[in-house]
Amino acid sequence: METTETKATENKTFWQKTYDMAQEEIPDHLNRFSYCLGATPLILFVILAVTGILLTFYYIPFPGQAYNSIKTITEETYLGWFIRGVHQVTVNLMVLALLLHIIRVFITRAYRDGGGLKWLLGAGLFFTVLAFGFTGYSLVYDNVSYWGMTVVTDMIRQIPVVGEPIFLLLRGGEDITELTLLRLYDLHTKLLPLLIVLLIGAHIIAIRTLGFAKITKHQGTHPFFPGHGLKMLAMTVMLLIVIVNLAAIFPPTMGEPANPLVVASDVSPPWYFSAIYRWIIIAPREAGLFSVFAFFTLFTIYPYIDRGFSDRGANMLRVNLAIGLIVAIFFATMTIWEALV
Amino acid sequence: MSVVNNNPERRRFLSGAFMTLGLTLGLGAMGTRFMQFLMPDVTAKKSSEILLGKADELSGDGAKFFDIAGKKVALMQSGEGFTAYSRICTNLGCLVSWDNANDQFHCPCHNGIFDRNGKNISGPPPRPLDQYEVVKRGKSVYIKLDVA
Repeated sequence: METTETKATENKTFWQKTYDMAQEEIPDHLNRFSYCLGATPLILFVILAVTGILLTFYYIPFPGQAYNSIKTITEETYLGWFIRGVHQVTVNLMVLALLLHIIRVFITRAYRDGGGLKWLLGAGLFFTVLAFGFTGYSLVYDNVSYWGMTVVTDMIRQIPVVGEPIFLLLRGGEDITELTLLRLYDLHTKLLPLLIVLLIGAHIIAIRTLGFAKITKHQGTHPFFPGHGLKMLAMTVMLLIVIVNLAAIFPPTMGEPANPLVVASDVSPPWYFSAIYRWIIIAPREAGLFSVFAFFTLFTIYPYIDRGFSDRGANMLRVNLAIGLIVAIFFATMTIWEALV
Repeated sequence: MSVVNNNPERRRFLSGAFMTLGLTLGLGAMGTRFMQFLMPDVTAKKSSEILLGKADELSGDGAKFFDIAGKKVALMQSGEGFTAYSRICTNLGCLVSWDNANDQFHCPCHNGIFDRNGKNISGPPPRPLDQYEVVKRGKSVYIKLDVA
């Protein structure tokens, strides 16, 4: 009996095997919106990759021409404003989707039961997206992005031990030159995409092998295809509608061209860095910088901290809720403060 | 000579360990070389004296700004002589500008403030502005800069 079954599997064609894989049972709780936020960034990533590749056909990564090439894309090239607008809107949605996903995983402690690896890879993905945000922002080469790039690379320099070499590697020297732009461009369009594809693959493989987070309330399962696949398709359509509308309502703009001799009057970064920006202004220098580094370190290794405490009998569900609330309120306060100043 | 230990588990572990070690060293050496290739050379600069101008043209209230070989310099008259500061804010690398009304340098990025002697007096900057050496020969004023 067993041998015939094995034989039946072996004789299956590639398409049959693929169909079997698509029919895999997944837990019912993935039907709920807050539990399928992981697929949203994947959809957004595809949109970013497509529009990003299109943009590289017009962008010139050289200080004298970068700004003008983006101006041409935005103001002259047919549908250029739209492609750039979609790229820009999607980045913002990507960071937002990741933040919501992280908050959900954190509050429900979905990294338990050997899910630490999923969290680590996810944290790596989050940092990679932030690096994408920073490098992409710098490529615009208007005055705000030029001075933003100056400040961020200098912040990296303050990291103990590894800061200085990373700083020199990023800038290609001590000052910001044409090499800096070329390196950020290379990172944005070659190394970071390679890294993010590897991390996305690893994150998905980790979820498939370690399993989805278990929710006690929902025990049932349903096949991935068609139910869940169609749901993802519906999500894609919904996201596209939102993105196209946002790109039309908030078309991409440009500031003054980069001027190495005049600091931009307003150097505030994109909203997802606002909280950190406001914090390093108001906090004493060392305390400000190191609290930022410490925060990201604690964030990365959190599942292991959690395990340490819950092994000693702490009610981490409540602790996480408290931490989540405090961090969310703190970030919201800093962001709103920055927006109002 | 007879085989001392014929445990296949042990043999498998040892061969695996050696292969991992070799691979790590090989890839590590390659990675190091790649990093060295990418690392910019920031040493080996020679110091040279560059003419700023005549002393009577340069004197006056407030800071005068120069962009010399990529270095952003602020020149201040102090008594008979001159002092040259780097305009790069010691906090996170923005440029300070001169605030004539308050007689101080101001960095707009994180609100760092330096007095007319380059001393950090307010905001996040951790140390005074960097200084360049100024040389006066007759009426000509020179600045000493490290130029690549």
